Amino acid sequence: MVASAPDSGSARPADADGGIGDLAFHPVSRERRTWTSDLSVAEAAAVRRVGLVPAGFVMGTAVMQLAATGGQVFGQWGGLGGPSVGGGGGYSESYPCAHSYAIGGGIGFGGTAGGAAEHYGFNIEDAVLAASLTEGYRLAIGRLRDEATEVGAHGVVGVDLLFENLVGSTGTATFFARGTAVKHPGGAPLPSPFLTNASGQHFERLIALGYVPAGIAVGVGSVYVQPNCQSRGDFTVPGSNQQIPRAILVARARARDSLAAMAHRVGEGVVHTEWTDRRVNRYAESWDQLTVAVGTSVRRYSTEAPPLDPRPVLPLRP
Amino acid sequence: MSPALSSAPGIEAALAALRSPFVPGDQTTFISDLTVGELVLLEEIGYRPVDIVSGAGTASWNPQFTTSATEGNMWGRAIATAIDHARSGIVEELHRRRADGVVAMRFELERERANLLTCTMLGTAVQRISRGSGDEHPFATTLSARDFHLLVRGGYRPSGIVIGVSVVGFAARSAAQSLGLARDNAELSDQTTALYSAREQAMEMMEREAQGLGADGVVEVQLQERPVNALLTHAVEFIAVGTAVHRGPKGHQALAPEFQLTLDDQPDTTFDR
Repeated sequence: MVASAPDSGSARPADADGGIGDLAFHPVSRERRTWTSDLSVAEAAAVRRVGLVPAGFVMGTAVMQLAATGGQVFGQWGGLGGPSVGGGGGYSESYPCAHSYAIGGGIGFGGTAGGAAEHYGFNIEDAVLAASLTEGYRLAIGRLRDEATEVGAHGVVGVDLLFENLVGSTGTATFFARGTAVKHPGGAPLPSPFLTNASGQHFERLIALGYVPAGIAVGVGSVYVQPNCQSRGDFTVPGSNQQIPRAILVARARARDSLAAMAHRVGEGVVHTEWTDRRVNRYAESWDQLTVAVGTSVRRYSTEAPPLDPRPVLPLRP
Repeated sequence: MSPALSSAPGIEAALAALRSPFVPGDQTTFISDLTVGELVLLEEIGYRPVDIVSGAGTASWNPQFTTSATEGNMWGRAIATAIDHARSGIVEELHRRRADGVVAMRFELERERANLLTCTMLGTAVQRISRGSGDEHPFATTLSARDFHLLVRGGYRPSGIVIGVSVVGFAARSAAQSLGLARDNAELSDQTTALYSAREQAMEMMEREAQGLGADGVVEVQLQERPVNALLTHAVEFIAVGTAVHRGPKGHQALAPEFQLTLDDQPDTTFDR
């Protein structure tokens, strides 16, 4: 997903007047009587110091049915608890029962061939869920950018991305992207407005230090965890645990990789990355280990900024 | 506003740069969770960001029946193992990315259910811009980019993350006390003592680790102390995590901060109550 490419996002027909794609509910082209913003006073002042003025509060939203297996019955996402199928051969690992019940044809419980497991666990990367979330963000960001273009903005600062299970029931998620569109009075329009999740003040620093934001980069990673006995906290098999940290590290690595792939296409580096590790409960004791990384891809437009040599100061009153 | 802030060409040049299409070449795209201010602070002391690195560790222990003067050895070791795995995971990633160190670390200890604990770390790997020998041992820190900048300007270098963990048991209170029937004020000296010895042992471990790294001292120690009172388990957990530092070749550099009298009023708290 590339948030800054002008053709991504909603499929808006060229002659649409106020709809998002073929959805006509969205009053994008209402007459705006004054500018609105979700900037604080200090942020608004910072944006003005750079030479931009607020053009309006803009938002993009999308409610998604998330891909999931089976009937939409259990768990927060829906699905019967297993990972979404068809992810196409990602990471997976099994964590057999940590008790040694299987030894010697199963002492203790069971006693069947191979032995009974107390709790058999596994990790499976859920690329389908990650793709669902990425698509939700892509739609929301695209619609935010469309609104910004509509008000003649050159960019959007302070973009917040979030998702919630707000609307609908299990198996759905609502994606939001919102921020304040800004424009440079008298400046020719850009091919596509820039987007950044940096605040007004951080945006001011970016510009002053010779960097320009190119777009928002998003990365999502997801690993479905069915905990084995040890990962459930069974105190009869204590010790170092591999399953939980592996799930976290793989989810983070996937998020990092997709963030990097997207950022590489539009800029030289990523700053302001916000990392969110989340555990989303699924059926019974299983969960999705989810990582979402959102950052601003930047380009250096000038190397003229001299060394700053910041002065240490000690305020006499905090 | 400091005068340096107005030194770059400004918004017109910035927007002009966005008009020309960006051609992704063979450049390595750096990934960081730094703010641009932190990015510049790093550049000022000769470092640039490389990538995000992360580490994680989980460990569990037996719920031990502890009473006066028992030590939860296995319990304490499990906590230390979880943190150590996260720490060595970070250092391994630094080696893999040929980075010199990591800054802006996010360090989290998460209690899983029951007797499981997960430690995660995530930070920005940095590289020296002018690389010397290059095969120095990469450093891990829990410092922010700002504190790392200050540390280096002060003439110090981080040696690594050091930890100290200890779990010490104490006696259960009497039946009357635990039922809330006791009517006198009294110090629970056994519990106070347990906390003291847990502190002692944890700090001793941390000092041992710092000594092993050849450090001169430890900064930014974060402490977490947690009493555990279950049916047959009465203990106190003590966890300390910090960054060991050593003096650089030039020794201590005085920063000589300028005193500043801010003209701002205190923030208005009328609506905060």
